[in-house]
Amino acid sequence: MGYLLKADWWKWLCVVLLVYTVIAGLLMPVPRLHILNETIRVLHFHVPMWFGMIFLFLASMIHAIKYLRSGSFVSDVYSNQLAYVGLFFGVLGLLSGMLWAKFAWGEYWSNDPKQNASAVSMLIYLAYFVLRSSIQDEQQRNRISSVYNIFAFFLMVPLLFILPRMTDSLHPGNGGNPALSIYDTNSSLKMVFYPAVIGWTLLGFWFATISSRLSISKQRFEDA
Amino acid sequence: MLKVLPVVTKIGNGLYLCVVERILSLIKKDMTVDWRQQNPITGIVLYLASTIFAAYMAFSGYVSVEVWNALFWIILLFTAINGLSKSFIQEERRTHYYYFLCKPGEIIIAKLIYSFIYLLLLALVSFVVYGVLLGNPIVNYPAFALNATLGCLGISAAFTMVSAIAFRTSNRSVMMAVLGFPVIIPVLVLAISNSFKLLDGYVFMQIQGNVGALFSVDVIIIALTMVLFPFTWKS
Repeated sequence: MGYLLKADWWKWLCVVLLVYTVIAGLLMPVPRLHILNETIRVLHFHVPMWFGMIFLFLASMIHAIKYLRSGSFVSDVYSNQLAYVGLFFGVLGLLSGMLWAKFAWGEYWSNDPKQNASAVSMLIYLAYFVLRSSIQDEQQRNRISSVYNIFAFFLMVPLLFILPRMTDSLHPGNGGNPALSIYDTNSSLKMVFYPAVIGWTLLGFWFATISSRLSISKQRFEDA
Repeated sequence: MLKVLPVVTKIGNGLYLCVVERILSLIKKDMTVDWRQQNPITGIVLYLASTIFAAYMAFSGYVSVEVWNALFWIILLFTAINGLSKSFIQEERRTHYYYFLCKPGEIIIAKLIYSFIYLLLLALVSFVVYGVLLGNPIVNYPAFALNATLGCLGISAAFTMVSAIAFRTSNRSVMMAVLGFPVIIPVLVLAISNSFKLLDGYVFMQIQGNVGALFSVDVIIIALTMVLFPFTWKS
């Protein structure tokens, strides 16, 4: 208990927001929309995974830049672990989205630009981990994988803007689908959705800090 | 980038070379190497021809405009990844020599220009062979050529950078595809959809926006390559 009380404020915030998200997200009244109905509650659990993933990848890229500037292995560990957790969030988002899509759109996969973009981001970061494992020399591995991390992140961003221009998204709020754009989202949804995004993102960073600290201690232990 | 490089360097007793000359001589060196060795370039042209022939045998009778277009780009993509993977891998024995002679900025500019020319020539050869076997539905040649050139620019730049990364790994040919394909998707998606629209009878004005987007993705790739390449180079 003594340790828990000393934890950072944002970890407490994360716990509070997530408890609120789970309770309010499942119990609060939601607007009745055609097709979506009760499945609209997935908004609080599926969409924040994408927000979390993008923020984690962004943080990973920033740490990769830090690594190239300073060369300290701590930055590289952070960059690597943030990418891991980002990928984990991405997989969760993809699975939850596919499950939801089976009921809302009738197919697990339906060539939706957002689905495709997320699949490509998965491929990019899986390639990043394969790259890391295929270089033996430690310094070289850190530097080359940081370079790829930055290169891939900056090409993933235009992809997220380009793909939706090619085909209409099936996602609610796009191209005449049942209204759920971020601007006209019902205020009772917003009250849960924004805290949910912040809560899940914080949880991702919490995971990443724990696994980074573990990995740094392991490396220090091996070196000692 | 050029600002970082010294404009003039001394190479010997009273001999000086400026940046442009050094880049040009690097490009010339690449051309000479390819011209003398011949087997990589003959190999890649043959690869291209046999892929197109296999596609022709598999698809003859089914080739609608959509299929023609998609197949053209896919064949170009595979040729590019095989042809450009040698960019840095063939330099293995020369790298130490380069460390003393040139700045990484010059090397990458020379490589980018050379791979672009190389891929353009390959695209031209592929277009001729492809057109003979699978027909040629193009109506608007200048716009199609512009789009194809921009596509080649993006593909060549991205694969040059990926080749520099894959050069440092233990299984290079696999890494080239694994790292290259996800990264090239923005360029590929834009180029394929533009060229399909052109084949479908759109005029250039209607796809201007997407051609602009393709060009800006190219610029992003080239800028990233220039900034990041020096980090893969020194070791």
